[in-house]
Amino acid sequence: MSDAKAVADRLVKAKRLNALLTPPKELRKSLNTQIAAARPTGVLYGMPVPVKDNICTLEFTTTCGSRILEGYRSPYEATAVTKLKAAGALIAGKTNCDEFAMGSSTEHSAYGRVLHPLDKARVPGGSSGGSAALVAAGAVPAALGSETGGSVRQPASFCGVVGIKPTYGRVSRYGLVAFGSSLDQIGVFGRSVHDAARVLSVISGRDPRDATCEDRDPLRLPTVPESLQGFVIGLPKEYFPAELDPAVRRACDRAIRMMKELGAAVREVSLPHTAYAVPTYYVIAPAEASSNLARYDGVRYGPRFDGATDLRSLYRSTRGQGFGAEVRRRILVGTYVLSSGYYDAYYRRAQQMRALIAQDFRNVFDRGVDLLFTPTVPSPAFKAGEKLADPIAMYMSDIFTVTANLAGLPAISLPIGRVKGLPIGGQLIGQAFLEDEMIEAAYALERVVPATDEA
Amino acid sequence: MSVSREEVLRIAQLAELDVDEETLPTLAEQMSRILDYAAQLSAVPANGTVKVFVPGPDAIRFRADEVTPSQLAFGPDEFAPNFKEGFFVVPKLGHFE
Repeated sequence: MSDAKAVADRLVKAKRLNALLTPPKELRKSLNTQIAAARPTGVLYGMPVPVKDNICTLEFTTTCGSRILEGYRSPYEATAVTKLKAAGALIAGKTNCDEFAMGSSTEHSAYGRVLHPLDKARVPGGSSGGSAALVAAGAVPAALGSETGGSVRQPASFCGVVGIKPTYGRVSRYGLVAFGSSLDQIGVFGRSVHDAARVLSVISGRDPRDATCEDRDPLRLPTVPESLQGFVIGLPKEYFPAELDPAVRRACDRAIRMMKELGAAVREVSLPHTAYAVPTYYVIAPAEASSNLARYDGVRYGPRFDGATDLRSLYRSTRGQGFGAEVRRRILVGTYVLSSGYYDAYYRRAQQMRALIAQDFRNVFDRGVDLLFTPTVPSPAFKAGEKLADPIAMYMSDIFTVTANLAGLPAISLPIGRVKGLPIGGQLIGQAFLEDEMIEAAYALERVVPATDEA
Repeated sequence: MSVSREEVLRIAQLAELDVDEETLPTLAEQMSRILDYAAQLSAVPANGTVKVFVPGPDAIRFRADEVTPSQLAFGPDEFAPNFKEGFFVVPKLGHFE
């Protein structure tokens, strides 16, 4: 068990990262109250778990890293948060993120960028960059994030921690502020596979408040296996292109060799529609976002940007001033692809492509492959500002992660080495609702892979 | 460039979003690049027989139609910018004869 002061001290010490949005005083006060109320019999008793700022909490404001929700206090909390509290965990503040989870670097937050814990000139990845940075800095053992296109796994890879994106429908989305409803899932960061997995098992399971959450029992954690005997691991050739960063390739090769030594059967497979995943994602996600974000109009939530003479100009000025550049861009792209005359060319095509991408995975899994192993991101953490002017370059950093979101599959990123001191992540993609198998393999790999050695 | 300034303004109107003059050229350029990039999807032959993929449960489960107590910790009067007598107060829409 931990005491509230020690928990708060560790978080406040990491303040220079700009990873936590909750002011220290408020954090200390809330932790004191929470620890007094926490159930000592809970499986996570005393464990501090900061929560990404797009997940509703009663204890703290929920701003989604946006000016349009500045100071917003949700009158209800997310089911995942309720479950954490019931297990005795402490909600240790709200973490900084890209505005409405749109971004891959946590530079698109209205509250300033988050620094990479190992190199302040670099980004921690995104959009759940604040959660990743706090776990990597050793401030907390685990944190909640959210995924729409890789927003947990990509920052986990950049920061050298473990990140899990569960199967769509494994964790309730109730209280997760909607961005792309057919893609969104709450995900978990941990210092180790076990830290992340135990938090995931607590927040998983049915919820009558979310009709897209499957009617299943919470995830049961597997035991740490002695070997990978019996596992068939596929290496999708599209995820190892010729232009892949050589250090990332070396780290992957080393991890693959180790999985073979542990007894896994490794074979090359093909997911032929992979090249279309990023364009598909950047049609579907903005389309869903343009619809989901229509509710922020200055009337029902958050601040209102005044000077408007009628209702429409109130909407327009509030939204124009309240949303940041990336969010505005995505709302406009989403509105465009859904508008009359373009719907068939963009949105319908993207929907068809999504089905083909999901089918690619089914084909591979139907041929006896249990899990897929890939790099999580094509490169280590990039420098702040490097990709801000070029949205497509930024989007490409999601190239190996968006497929699991499009197909609704579970995936985990774990550190498998470093290049010039910067972490590299390896990804295991599992079959729907077989997180236990995926976690089992991750346990085995984590035990042998030299995660902090140069690749 | 696939998206013109005028088109950005038209879309912004549909999205109920103010776009200021200075950012308009950059916005048009960036939207064009994103949409041109997405246009590679049309390289794949359209297939009307592909069933749309929707993740999650195959069928929507219905829950019992019962009134349960509201979970709200506080009401809209505390989170809306302006809320009076059960209504959200918004600026006057205009004058009606």
